[in-house]
Amino acid sequence: MNEKTKANNPSVFMDYLKIILVNIIIFGLVSFVLKADYLVSLLSLVVIIAALLYLEKKGFISKIFSLFIRHKVVAFVSALILMCIVPFVLASNRYVVHIAVLACLYGVVALGLNFQMGSTDMTNFATAVFFGVGAYASGVTSMRLGINPWWGILIAVAAAVLVGLIIGVPTLRTKGYYLSLVTMALQLVFSMTIILFQFFGGPDGMAGLPGFEIFGFDLGMTHNLFGVKLPYQVNYLFLAMIVLILATYVAMRTNISRSGLALNNIAQDETAANCLGINVTRQKLLAFCLGSAFCGVAGAIYGQYMMFVGPDDFDFNKSLIFICMVILGGMDNPIGVLVGAFIITVINEKLRDFADYQMLFYGIILMTVLIARPKGLIPKRVRNYCEVFKLSVVKHEHIKEEA
Amino acid sequence: MSEFLSQIVNALLLGCTYTLVAIGFSLFFGVLDVVVFCSGDIAIFGAFALMGAYMIIATTGLINLPLVVIILLLLVISCVLCAILGLLTYLFSIKPFEDAPPLMPLLSTIALGIVIREGVGLFFPKGRNPQPFPELIPLGSIGGNAAFSFRNIFILAVTVVILIFLFTFLKKTKMGISMQAIAQNRELAYMTGINLRSTVTFTFVLGGILLSIAGFLIGSYSGVLRFDAGSMYGIKGFSAAVVGGLRSIYGAIAGGMLLGFIEVFVSGWFPNGASYASAIAFVVVVIFMVVKPEGILGEKTVEKV
Repeated sequence: MNEKTKANNPSVFMDYLKIILVNIIIFGLVSFVLKADYLVSLLSLVVIIAALLYLEKKGFISKIFSLFIRHKVVAFVSALILMCIVPFVLASNRYVVHIAVLACLYGVVALGLNFQMGSTDMTNFATAVFFGVGAYASGVTSMRLGINPWWGILIAVAAAVLVGLIIGVPTLRTKGYYLSLVTMALQLVFSMTIILFQFFGGPDGMAGLPGFEIFGFDLGMTHNLFGVKLPYQVNYLFLAMIVLILATYVAMRTNISRSGLALNNIAQDETAANCLGINVTRQKLLAFCLGSAFCGVAGAIYGQYMMFVGPDDFDFNKSLIFICMVILGGMDNPIGVLVGAFIITVINEKLRDFADYQMLFYGIILMTVLIARPKGLIPKRVRNYCEVFKLSVVKHEHIKEEA
Repeated sequence: MSEFLSQIVNALLLGCTYTLVAIGFSLFFGVLDVVVFCSGDIAIFGAFALMGAYMIIATTGLINLPLVVIILLLLVISCVLCAILGLLTYLFSIKPFEDAPPLMPLLSTIALGIVIREGVGLFFPKGRNPQPFPELIPLGSIGGNAAFSFRNIFILAVTVVILIFLFTFLKKTKMGISMQAIAQNRELAYMTGINLRSTVTFTFVLGGILLSIAGFLIGSYSGVLRFDAGSMYGIKGFSAAVVGGLRSIYGAIAGGMLLGFIEVFVSGWFPNGASYASAIAFVVVVIFMVVKPEGILGEKTVEKV
């Protein structure tokens, strides 16, 4: 009893070392996969996937999770330091940094989709609509209205949440297939109508978005830092990583909160959730709006980064790719979803030369994942209330003894 | 007046194509409670198979046979291929997920649809380009009125024949009644001795054959086919089936016709309407979903706790 409440210095130090080692391995692998030539990169992805499956079978993944959660500060600080180093490692190749930026932004979108699909089991085929609304809002506010793109992000989030409400309200009454059909129909309506308005650039989209600027420091320009030449993609990589960290924090906290529990409850049995007093409408709308807010932020940054918004980037295929990310990575597990986003983005970009086979490849991947491992690579974590309970019991007994 | 007439005929024909795909959806859903999203892609695959067979036949001497024989031969080839595809759909997309939540077969059929679509695009010679559908139905019309062309009458007639065949099959044959029984109450049907496995397999084969004929009619109606027309037809066919009521064949007809009429009349009456005719149709579908999810002719299901 006392061993758990006292800090046991040598074993805690060993834990810290383990955490730092795992972090180094993770970021080292990420950098390696990004920098490698496409064949090596894809092969190493296969190896990584096989390794993840093996580790999960042996139970190591949950051990790593509980280790990280027990020593949150060390885990976070070491990861943060490594995240600051990675852009410098990648800086020599612009395209590699570009892939990293996309991976971070798509990771944020996938986290948003995770609220709807992973936690609440609502298959949302309209994710690309939220992403697109964010991007178009950012484009319109910066180009047609001349507003600073930073405020544009807030407007993009508001617009995405509004669209989330518009899409979410009709889906409240529908279940299962009908929900999928409604979101599919709305995705198609979006794709078809966005090209009709010249205000949004029509079928050719809007080009020449200004990009971000912090106190005169233009993110669109190349800079030199510590003697390393950093192309503008690196600036955006830092921005995307900050957004990703914030999004992951929100996603993980929501996951273990009462809302996250309520969403899981709704996924399992909506009638029972209703009987338990959960306000199903409010929780579902929360899932939709939170998810769409994430997509809106990611979309706004995406639009300014690419300096272009066009309708082709936000079609049904994109929505399918986001769904692929969540399913491959692991439903309802924010870290799993990020892994899925990373893997799919790397495959997407490394196979650019084979663009013809891209959708075929995705179809095959999706089918394989669904048949072989529908839980995903890093499945949902079992909610562990026991330890918390045990610790609180320990504290109370300790106080009782002293009293 | 004659423009109005030709628009009605157009709407009827479009409605026929949607109805046939919607029937495929209703059939699969009725038997197994799964939405087979690749139905549209199976239909287009059938059309492409027919085109491929036609190209092969055109190089051999068989082209000199009477037109009826050629059409029948092509249809048989296409039906066989689509029946095999239907079977493969069941084996790879539906069977592994028999006890899984309904999300899984939904996504896996979407994925299979992508694979079929991209497969056609990649492996058909110049598959990415829109392909002209062979003119198999003789040109010309009754009374010189373009609305009553032989092609239109043919499409309408074939649809009616298929519908009559389907109704008779479902009501009079043992297999048809078994399919209805499984749709109504699966466990009870099993207990009365109906072989679930063989009936379900047969349903997928039958669905494949129906969808291949649908593909033939879609090709004849459109004249030019793209390899990814299947996704649009799939979604529209599914919308038609849902709007009409997913389990009933009458519903599929009603939904298909409704969708066809909305599209043609929005295209015709509003300036530049063709670009958002589909969007309006989908908005109508969404409204239906929210207001009356069981469809026009469906039954309201009460969820028992």
